[in-house]
Amino acid sequence: MLKIDNLHVKVDGKEILQGLTLEIPSGEVHAVMGPNGSGKSTLANVLAGRPGYEITAGSVTFQGRDLLALAPEERAREGVFLGFQYPVEIPGVNNVYLLKAAVNAARKHRGLEEVDAFEFLTLVREKMRLMRMEESMLSRGVNEGFSGGEKKRNEILQMLVLEPRLAILDETDSGLDIDALKIVANGVNTLRSPARSLVLVTHYQRLLDYIVPDHVHVLVKGRIARSGDKSLALELERRGYDWVTGEAA
Amino acid sequence: MTQSALSKRLLDEYAAVSDSLPTDVVSAERRQEAIQALAARGLPTTREENWRYTNLRPLERARFAPVAAAAAAAAPTVIPAGLDLPSTLTGFARFTFVDGTFAPELSSEHAQAGSTVRNLRRAPESSARRQGSTAGTRPLTAPSGCPEASLALLNEAFATDTALISVRGGTDAPQRVELVFVAVAGADVGASYPRIQVALDPDSRLILVERHVSAGSGASFVNSSVSVDIGRGAHLTHYRLQRAGARSAWLDTLTAVLAADGRYSLLTINTGGLSARSTTQVQMAGPGAELILSAAALGDRQQTQDHFALVEHIAPRARTDQTFRGIASGRARVAFNGKITVREAAAGTDSRQSLRGLLAGPAAEIDVRPQLEIYTDDVRCSHGATAGKLDDSMLFYLLSRGLSPEVAQRLLKWAFLEDVVSKIELPELRRQIEHDLAGQMADAASLKELL
Repeated sequence: MLKIDNLHVKVDGKEILQGLTLEIPSGEVHAVMGPNGSGKSTLANVLAGRPGYEITAGSVTFQGRDLLALAPEERAREGVFLGFQYPVEIPGVNNVYLLKAAVNAARKHRGLEEVDAFEFLTLVREKMRLMRMEESMLSRGVNEGFSGGEKKRNEILQMLVLEPRLAILDETDSGLDIDALKIVANGVNTLRSPARSLVLVTHYQRLLDYIVPDHVHVLVKGRIARSGDKSLALELERRGYDWVTGEAA
Repeated sequence: MTQSALSKRLLDEYAAVSDSLPTDVVSAERRQEAIQALAARGLPTTREENWRYTNLRPLERARFAPVAAAAAAAAPTVIPAGLDLPSTLTGFARFTFVDGTFAPELSSEHAQAGSTVRNLRRAPESSARRQGSTAGTRPLTAPSGCPEASLALLNEAFATDTALISVRGGTDAPQRVELVFVAVAGADVGASYPRIQVALDPDSRLILVERHVSAGSGASFVNSSVSVDIGRGAHLTHYRLQRAGARSAWLDTLTAVLAADGRYSLLTINTGGLSARSTTQVQMAGPGAELILSAAALGDRQQTQDHFALVEHIAPRARTDQTFRGIASGRARVAFNGKITVREAAAGTDSRQSLRGLLAGPAAEIDVRPQLEIYTDDVRCSHGATAGKLDDSMLFYLLSRGLSPEVAQRLLKWAFLEDVVSKIELPELRRQIEHDLAGQMADAASLKELL
């Protein structure tokens, strides 16, 4: 599904990713963990195509195509989804309009007709119930006046409606209380399938109690310092990041 | 052309047509006073502080004499074939003026018990009955201390008709009136002088929709003047929608006075004209008066959209809430200059200003400027003014959901106007305005789903 090879990325002239190599096959859930400043969010943003990142070396292949050659909107239409760490508020752009425009952009890309308005709303309402979101949130501006937890749930709602092939969730667990965390995890888990891959970028092990990953990677100074199964996350929780950063140094 | 040469031409043109100007609209004496005062002051120039962003070149080229004077005397107004007026609004009586003169065939009956609407100019055949009627109402002369209102003098000198609205108290339901001003003739034929006088008795209610449109693609010269008098405890909701033709010059002066506990909700949307300028001058004359001034302007291509708003607080405990959202695309210039003056006697004044401009083109210009002049300590005045480009993080968010850059930008421009558009309380009017704005902002149908 996704193949990252020797990726080097600079931000403001400073090299953040320093030769990152990672492969994520179809149907797998990979957790990318690491201390603050290790490059986790940079990785997520580079994959989604956010401007301001200079790729100095390496390659990213998504379903056999050069992902880095695609514009952000093309990546989205190809099925790449970024769940933002800090979802932006866009007053005046209606939530349901954005959802529909996003779905139709992807459908058009695949040569499909626009979604039927009634079926679409039925689907959105069903997913909203799953995310325990008030229906009134649909007619509000995108994330406008939402609490931190509501914003994260809205990200997952968008993901559930868009059904991406590759979802990258950047610190989706941050700022969530335990109830909201369970709702978000439950939403994510419904999307697990053999045809879909998930990348969970997280600082803490807690999320991984609810979304159990197939593989865990620890990012240190812009490279994968260690990979393992879910027990690696538990060991990190016990021993702290010093354990890996000390080793990597 | 020099100022003195322009003033001379103004006087000459006035002298040539003054005999044909209707005295039941403005008396000959008042016309004479107005033209003399204007010639003495001189037409505004961009050297003046509060005119510097206006495109005043049309003043140099325009014929000041009204279209009606150019046409054969008392000839009926020519209604252009295929004139496409905005849809009427449910429950609103419509009065249409073509090139500044009432057009009954484009108007509907006014049958609301609580108000009177009429035009001041009598049809020629009824001139006998006109004898003895007092001409016009209050003079529209600019109050001293507001030289920016001088173009109202130009209107007063040349006006060919007036829409007069009087609202009586004692009915709960607001009166509903729509005025449509259509500019047809080009500036080479003559000028158009829309003119409105609105008076609300104490505790009365009025919803007024005022539209300015053009027929055809002619370059018209429009100079409108509006006078608003809001009595004690009266409420006026006033929508002003300007979409003059793309080659037109549209100049406008509105003066309003609010008595105690009067409430004026004024919402303006300026999208039309090549050179558009609005001067809004509001006096908070009674304690507890409230003004909600919301303005949006769109400029594209070579357009200039300039708005100067002066709010003067002279009575205690009055409140002003001012919002401006302007978008400049192409090579357009969009300006809003909001000045609030709080006099010594206006203790307890509460004023808020939120002025924001969006630069949507590399050659576009935005000028937003709050000005505060405060002569007392007991006030609460806040203001914010920003001019900037589209927010990168918002843009990326939309792209990351698969929207094209064009659609994403259009959506964000749309969202930028939300603070003004959301204040439109009539759903039917709001839909019309949203369609208009969507049409202005995008050729593609991409915004249609929003509506």
